[in-house]
Amino acid sequence: MGNSASSGRGHHEDTVDYGYLTPQGVYTGPRDWNQTIVTQLICERKLAPFYRPLEDYEDNWEDEQILAARKEPTDSEASSQGDSSVGRADSIASTGSRTHHKRPSNVKEVQRPIPEAAIYRGAIECPICFLYYPPNINHSRCCDQAICTECFVQIKRAEPNPTHLVSEPACCPYCVQENFGVVYTPPPWRAGIGSEGATPPSWPDSPKGSTANSVASSNAAMKRRRKSFGHDSPDVVTIDQIRPDWEAKLAAVRAAVQRRANRRIIMRQVGDRLIPVGVTSGRVHALPTEDGGEADGNGERGSRRSRRRNQNPDLNQLLGTMGLGGQDLEELMVMEAMRLSLLEHEEQQRKQKEEEEKKKREEGDAEGVNQTENAGPSTTPSVETPSSAVSSSTSTRTDNASTNTLISPSASTSHASSMSGGRDVSPPIESATPPARSTHGSSLSVSSLSPDQRSIRSQKRRSASPFIGAALQSATVTASAVVSPSSGEPSGSTPEEDTPVLPHPTMPISRSPSRASTHSSPTPTSPESTVTPEESGPEAEPITPPSDPIPVPVDSDASPPLTHHSASFASSIEGDINAAYDVLPSSPASSGSSLSRKPLLDAQSEVNDMPTVTSSSEAH
Amino acid sequence: MAAVSTRRLQKELADIKNHGTPTGITLLKADDFETWYLTLEVLGESLYKGEVFALKFRFEPGYPISSPAVQFVVDDKFRAPLHPHVYSNGHICASILGTEWSPVLSVISVCITLQSMLASCKDKKRPPDNDRYVAHAPENPKKTQFVYHDDEV
Repeated sequence: MGNSASSGRGHHEDTVDYGYLTPQGVYTGPRDWNQTIVTQLICERKLAPFYRPLEDYEDNWEDEQILAARKEPTDSEASSQGDSSVGRADSIASTGSRTHHKRPSNVKEVQRPIPEAAIYRGAIECPICFLYYPPNINHSRCCDQAICTECFVQIKRAEPNPTHLVSEPACCPYCVQENFGVVYTPPPWRAGIGSEGATPPSWPDSPKGSTANSVASSNAAMKRRRKSFGHDSPDVVTIDQIRPDWEAKLAAVRAAVQRRANRRIIMRQVGDRLIPVGVTSGRVHALPTEDGGEADGNGERGSRRSRRRNQNPDLNQLLGTMGLGGQDLEELMVMEAMRLSLLEHEEQQRKQKEEEEKKKREEGDAEGVNQTENAGPSTTPSVETPSSAVSSSTSTRTDNASTNTLISPSASTSHASSMSGGRDVSPPIESATPPARSTHGSSLSVSSLSPDQRSIRSQKRRSASPFIGAALQSATVTASAVVSPSSGEPSGSTPEEDTPVLPHPTMPISRSPSRASTHSSPTPTSPESTVTPEESGPEAEPITPPSDPIPVPVDSDASPPLTHHSASFASSIEGDINAAYDVLPSSPASSGSSLSRKPLLDAQSEVNDMPTVTSSSEAH
Repeated sequence: MAAVSTRRLQKELADIKNHGTPTGITLLKADDFETWYLTLEVLGESLYKGEVFALKFRFEPGYPISSPAVQFVVDDKFRAPLHPHVYSNGHICASILGTEWSPVLSVISVCITLQSMLASCKDKKRPPDNDRYVAHAPENPKKTQFVYHDDEV
């Protein structure tokens, strides 16, 4: 008996009120709940410990019978059951008596109540596993039905799957009320963990008669609760509490589904045909959005999520500054590949026509002009640049960005990316902002976007987020403006001479974006929005002027002079790229809003208004 | 320790043997704790008067947390009842066998539910999509995602 103290101590350290912190083997499946949380709840006496259940129980059983009926776990202590359990019971009894009863005489040892048996007095059968547990058992919060902890941890939400994209809180198995949760009333005594200084358990000597009665009465007091608890009551432990990852799981499945739905075919225009060259990852939308409808009915959940999201604004900001916010690396790589191939393609085309002169002009005039222009528009946005005129709401930065970009369409690229990236951070309104399809396409056209440009763009977007539409407009306008101003450009050699002929590819392209956007905008996330060759078909059609052009033309005239070269370059690229890239899936799913169309229309109108510009592109 | 399903079914079986089964329900075969057969008939006035059906229960180790696979036996001796929620292959479209299963339910309670489902039937006919479903149905009805036609069952 000399060693019993130590073993007793060890025993106490991992039990709570003679129950355990881990399941005792009733269920054999995976333990997919959060065991740390469960342990904590047990230690806090908010959840009944895992008691070893009894196969059977009768009120008149002796302690030994109870202990013999006790389930032994399959692992560690599961040696030959009968004898060992009795032996254990003895040693435990002796330690228990030592601790709590001040050394009883050996003679009475058999009669002494054994705590580990006494706790089963008045045992309750769990209606699910049909095993018997000590009367301090969990009760359903709603209908006050008993449920053992073993069974409780088995109840969970149905796993979401692609065809069942919701995760409903598990219902009470008894009364089918939602948000199943339990309430646990611990016994009036404490043992094991957290019992320091608490009333030691004490039971009358006789296991029968008076004991049963008194235990029963105390149980009755415990069970007197008749009111039900709300699932958010602090006394309630819900199945979601012990599986806090359900939200993440749901989000993951949803993201996977949405990603699949958002895949788009990347088209490349060759001549007047679109050729599919790849499939985008569609992962831009992988991050859960607040407007996904999943938070409906539960404001708390939504707020929690938004709070979480706001917790690292720095990261988001950084990403946004890099033009990478929320954008998938995979997609960026695809876009880069596309951009390169398009550049290559465009290069070929250019070589065929007037390669030499154009290059000269580009390097010389265009850049120089741009540089000079940059300073101008940024400081005085309202007057000079077309963008400023169009979108007065946007800050000077807009102008800055637009002017900065050598190739105007490129500016829109950064726009698009920043938009998609910013969705997480941005309020619902912003997320709802239309993806600039046309802008996306244009991104490809940009031969090289300098980091500065991107950052500027993103900055602009962030600052003027409510005015994204305007910003987009400005971007688009800028693009066209950049092209158009060529006529006014002094350095531009002979812009107007080249202009007369409208190149087919260019014109259709500019138009196609709008079409694509309108097509896809109603069903942004649906796979149908994928641009199919038929949709792009219109590009080949002759350009029909939009019936509702937005008055941008003024700007083009007033716009700062650009080198004729740059203009032509931009337009030519625009042709191919816009067409191909409109299709780009990366545009936010929320692109339904009317805003998205504006820029496109503008672009259209501009194209129409500025035939000269486009004609220049025809040169190549 | 045996799986929870075994222990629970042992107790359900003991209960059936000790207290009998409700009227109209008899235990046909329960030799193990994986597959049980029970017979079912609707007593009193009903469209199924005089007909006896057999139910086949298959239990997973996760029973009763996971629902049993329950279907009517269709063989040379038994037929599936003609019922809007029972397919000719014996599969049953009943929410308590799927999404609304509760671990509190038992073999006997399922039998009682199905008995009352038959008893309340007003129109003996197959589900509208019977042929299509039966042509492609999995062997185990639990693998089917039923769309429950109404809330009655």
